[in-house]
Amino acid sequence: MTLLELENLVVRYGEAVAVDGVSLQVGPRERVALIGPNGAGKTSVLNAACGVLKPAKGRVRIDGDDLTGATPAAVVRRGVSQVPEGRLVFSTLPVEANLLLGAYGRIFSLEIVSSTLRYLRRKPEVRERLDRVYTLLPALRELRERPAGRTSGGEQQMVAIGRALMARPRLLAIDELSLGLAPVIVQQLAEFLLRLNEEEQVALLLVDQSASLAFSLCDRAYVVETGRVVLEGASRDLEGRSEVRSAYLGGEAEERD
Amino acid sequence: MVVGVSTGSLFAIVGMSLVLIFKATGIVNFAQGVFAVLGGLLTYGLGKHMSLALAAVLATVITAFIATIVAIVAVGVRGRTTPLASLVITVGIALFAEAVLLAAFGEVPRSYSAVSDRAWDVAGVLIQPQYAVLTVVALGAAVGLTFFLRRTIIGQALVASADSPRAAELIGLNLRSVAVIAFALAGALTAIGGLLLAPTVPVTYNSDLSITINGFAAAVFGGFVSIRLALLGGYALGIVEQLVVGYVDPQYNLIIALLVMLVLIGWRSRGELAV
Repeated sequence: MTLLELENLVVRYGEAVAVDGVSLQVGPRERVALIGPNGAGKTSVLNAACGVLKPAKGRVRIDGDDLTGATPAAVVRRGVSQVPEGRLVFSTLPVEANLLLGAYGRIFSLEIVSSTLRYLRRKPEVRERLDRVYTLLPALRELRERPAGRTSGGEQQMVAIGRALMARPRLLAIDELSLGLAPVIVQQLAEFLLRLNEEEQVALLLVDQSASLAFSLCDRAYVVETGRVVLEGASRDLEGRSEVRSAYLGGEAEERD
Repeated sequence: MVVGVSTGSLFAIVGMSLVLIFKATGIVNFAQGVFAVLGGLLTYGLGKHMSLALAAVLATVITAFIATIVAIVAVGVRGRTTPLASLVITVGIALFAEAVLLAAFGEVPRSYSAVSDRAWDVAGVLIQPQYAVLTVVALGAAVGLTFFLRRTIIGQALVASADSPRAAELIGLNLRSVAVIAFALAGALTAIGGLLLAPTVPVTYNSDLSITINGFAAAVFGGFVSIRLALLGGYALGIVEQLVVGYVDPQYNLIIALLVMLVLIGWRSRGELAV
């Protein structure tokens, strides 16, 4: 069964149509890319899937259950977490607090006493998870006391990924992994994500303007333009197509093996 | 001087409450002074029918509840109103609240008896227990709020929501709940400050404006993010204003607050961030 399924998703901002009938599927442990130019609606697709935006039409399903219009918390509880564009770390809080909040967020409610007690009761479990995240991203252990806003771009990306991992996602949706980062850092993060996918069986949905990164990391890809899927298929096949090469790979094509 | 410390305590409490709300929601709440007035007037009104202590507790709870309504109106049902729009909404709420309070309590400043009538003679200076209580509350609130925001997971969740609302939503925090928690806490705290000051400085429907402005000035001391500096700012303002009132002219009191605020904003904006 597909883990995440979007069917004919339409997202509007007032009159403007950002997403115009996008359908896509991500299976368990799969690595899927969503590529396309700036403003194509990639981020809106992710946000509609994660419950941050209400789609005007279409369905969002997780494990076959309808989660259209569900709250972000409900989506996180069902195992789909997002690493947002621009990282968006909680800059004034220490790195470790950023991570712990990733586990607290999904049980947070207006009944602060009961949700906090529930969190404290789960503390051993949360600690264990924190240790796991530190093992996966050892650099974060060194930085745990430092305000997240005072770490480098690559480190902030790790904080954002670690924060999402604290909720034990089965699918990690990553928006613009490479944005503003040095190629060597992007390479390290890509290797980390591959390992995460293989060792922890976390499926990946990677949104990126860099098609070369997306193709090298993912087996399948969807190409989105002006709110519609214009191409989809195996990365290997898409990579070879001339329209994709000219539009998204350009000079980068020669650098690839 | 002593009066300055007690009004300073209220300014500090209001300033810290404003910082708490700002840190959680990014909103500057111009209706904060209303919560202090509500604390005083509700205690007065309820105090006619029951013991003052019980009236004070009830007034605090009612004010906290009203603060949650203010929060929902200010941040919107989905918690998505922009901070600037929310600020304008709180100004509207403050004006509306003044009208309601005028209709309910009239324009006569209200007061009631203090914690104790006796005064302590400390090295020739008469200190009323009321002032001591108010100061202890302000200091306790400063310690408590700092610990809450830095060390507890719920406090950190509030800070996170203002740091990055989008990311906070993505990990599952509900922005409206966050706003409600912050406003309720700040409302209760400010109500306690207001109801403790009322026996010495009678309170009326429009006292909220000067309380808000002084609280705002206190919060500006800490750049709207530091609880500790808002506390210091409140006391500095209270004392300076009392000296000016005593030696120059009582009417200058608000002008001082505004002046201090402008100077601070101008000075701070050279550094990292304006306000």
